[in-house]
Amino acid sequence: MHSDAVTQHEFVVRGNERAAEGIWRLVIESPVAGQLAPGQFMNLRVPGDGSHILGIPLSFKGANAQAQTVELLYAVVGEGTRRLSQMVAGQSSTLVGPCGRGWWLPEGEGRALLVAGGIGLPPVLAAARMLADAGIGFDAIAGSRTADMVLSDDIEDLARLAGADGRVITCTDDGTAGRRGFVTEAMGELLRERAYAQAYACGPNVMMAGVARLADEHGVACQVSMERMMGCGFGACSCCNVALVAGGYALCCTDGPVFDAREVAW
Amino acid sequence: MVSTVSMAVDLGGIRMRNPLNTASGTYGNGVQFEGFYDVGATLGAITCKGVAAVPWDGNPAPRLAELPGSAIMNSVGLQNPGVRGFVERYGDYLQGLRDRGCQVICQIAGHSLDEYRQATELFEELAPFASGFEVNISCPNIAQGGAAMGATPEAAAQVMSVVRPLTARPVVVKMAPHDVAEIGRALEASGADALSLINTIPGMAIDIRTRRSRLARATAGVSGPAIHAIAVRMVWECANAVTIPICGIGGVASGADAAEMILAGATAVSVGTANLYDPTCVPRILVELEEWACGQGVSDINELIGAFEC
Ligand SMILES: Cc1cc2nc3c(=O)[nH]c(=O)nc-3n(C[C@H](O)[C@H](O)[C@H](O)COP(=O)(O)OP(=O)(O)OC[C@H]3O[C@@H](n4cnc5c(N)ncnc54)[C@H](O)[C@@H]3O)c2cc1C
Ligand SMILES: Cc1cc2nc3c(=O)[nH]c(=O)nc-3n(C[C@H](O)[C@H](O)[C@H](O)COP(=O)(O)O)c2cc1C
Ligand code: FES
Repeated sequence: MHSDAVTQHEFVVRGNERAAEGIWRLVIESPVAGQLAPGQFMNLRVPGDGSHILGIPLSFKGANAQAQTVELLYAVVGEGTRRLSQMVAGQSSTLVGPCGRGWWLPEGEGRALLVAGGIGLPPVLAAARMLADAGIGFDAIAGSRTADMVLSDDIEDLARLAGADGRVITCTDDGTAGRRGFVTEAMGELLRERAYAQAYACGPNVMMAGVARLADEHGVACQVSMERMMGCGFGACSCCNVALVAGGYALCCTDGPVFDAREVAW
Repeated sequence: MVSTVSMAVDLGGIRMRNPLNTASGTYGNGVQFEGFYDVGATLGAITCKGVAAVPWDGNPAPRLAELPGSAIMNSVGLQNPGVRGFVERYGDYLQGLRDRGCQVICQIAGHSLDEYRQATELFEELAPFASGFEVNISCPNIAQGGAAMGATPEAAAQVMSVVRPLTARPVVVKMAPHDVAEIGRALEASGADALSLINTIPGMAIDIRTRRSRLARATAGVSGPAIHAIAVRMVWECANAVTIPICGIGGVASGADAAEMILAGATAVSVGTANLYDPTCVPRILVELEEWACGQGVSDINELIGAFEC
């Protein structure tokens, strides 16, 4: 047997509550907790209705190896996530993980810049913890469509991890909370004010493409956590292809989900 | 359960210790499942992803959609590293499976007769670990070749006339889900040792808001539990038309599904899409199949092949 291979774990729901409009916070207890690296993901099976067969790939916000717990945030967008939102504390199921290759520490010296769009926040929080643990300073921008969708508690966590000299900016597209406008506008300002060694981003594809372009213009290395429809999550089906600048495709689930933004053909 | 049933079967010269095989493209090349169970000790055979003479990129994203009612649709389009890349990456691992009693079936893909010839020649030379080959003449997701190569009895026989003289190892042919009796007969006559069916069923899924396909291509292949009944019917029709063994494929997710395939006339059974959403299913299906055979009061599972009564 290959010990580093992805495997299946049981999980028990410890908490599953609404965190913002259309967004839920899930806390599970699972042996996978001790194996997760920041930016990796897991593929959850929701028990019940057998007519919906694929798992739900989710990144995680944080994991506690000692308590064996993992905290996740997810948006209810379709049948699978709707049924996941109906799971109650004590219910159990299985997950596949830990999947993929997560974030890596900045290669050069200097601050990091974190950018999260909508439900891209959980892996960005995992990156924040990784940086804080390594003693690397960072600033962060978290964008949402509107005030109801802002994950205030999680943005507070982000601010705590960023420390006294870290700046954390909240924005909404419609200006109902924080600054009005897209994350890329706030990012442009920060890039003019401070020097960064590395950007980390997760959010809608158009947002990540914009972040990648801005970072590149300022000569800042950039990591992005990509999303694709996934059949398996562990390299068995080749369904999750990401086009590369060098030509051909990588697989999001094994080569990613975190990629060097300069390698991705946006 | 102490098994008294002999589970070994012979798929056209590929001697399998049990009837379970994997459907090409849904099982990586085996190594991806090592974290779930001991692949080499479990399967009767593994069928690898389709490989061509030279690397293919496959189709653009998105390549996958989930459909209501236990089905998915894919348009991967045979992304593969070419025979040389495949052998370099997986050769040692696959030899290891072979050494441990799991047969290794390498799948040959091509856009043209010439490409099938080149891929077969390369496999012959570079893949001593292959117990046999499966020729894919039924991929619905590539522009030329693919399914067209297996669309008529004449076209299917032509591919066999190219591949057959190049290898003495068993050759299985992967068939598209149409005209299986007629095309099956043509393949048997042109030297196929076994047939495997069905490949995915061409379908469409339209996003009614954007009026575009939910995948990057207009059409893609439907698979999963929803297609099982269609697959069983086609295995039965084909089994009634040929004398060579058949590997039944399509929506198998339980021992009962595999048992249906065997009753309909399949010698071996491949698990496909179920591996993706339930990666530990194979060992469970094997236990269930053995329990069923035991319950049928036979001493050899071969007694149940084609034992459907009508
Ligand atoms: C590596 C990875 C990490 C992810 N992390 C998170 C996370 O932390 N929190 C979160 O809320 N979501 C995350 N997602 C997205 C999440 O997996 C999907 O939203 C979910 O699977 C949708 O399932 P569903 O059955 O509810 O939706 P469906 O009914 O299947 O689809 C509803 C809509 O969502 C889209 N969709 C479905 N699956 C995916 C997918 N895998 N990626 C992108 N869009 C999809 C469909 O195209 C459709 O428009 C992640 C996806 C990946 C690949
Ligand atoms: C993601 C995916 C990739 C596939 N790739 C191949 C392939 O490379 N060659 C092939 O002959 N069939 C391929 N197939 C078809 C399967 O081998 C099988 O014939 C089909 O999916 C029906 O079985 P199932 O319902 O159990 O999945 C693929 C199917 C899926 C879902
Ligand atoms: S989701 Fe199956 S290979 Fe990535």
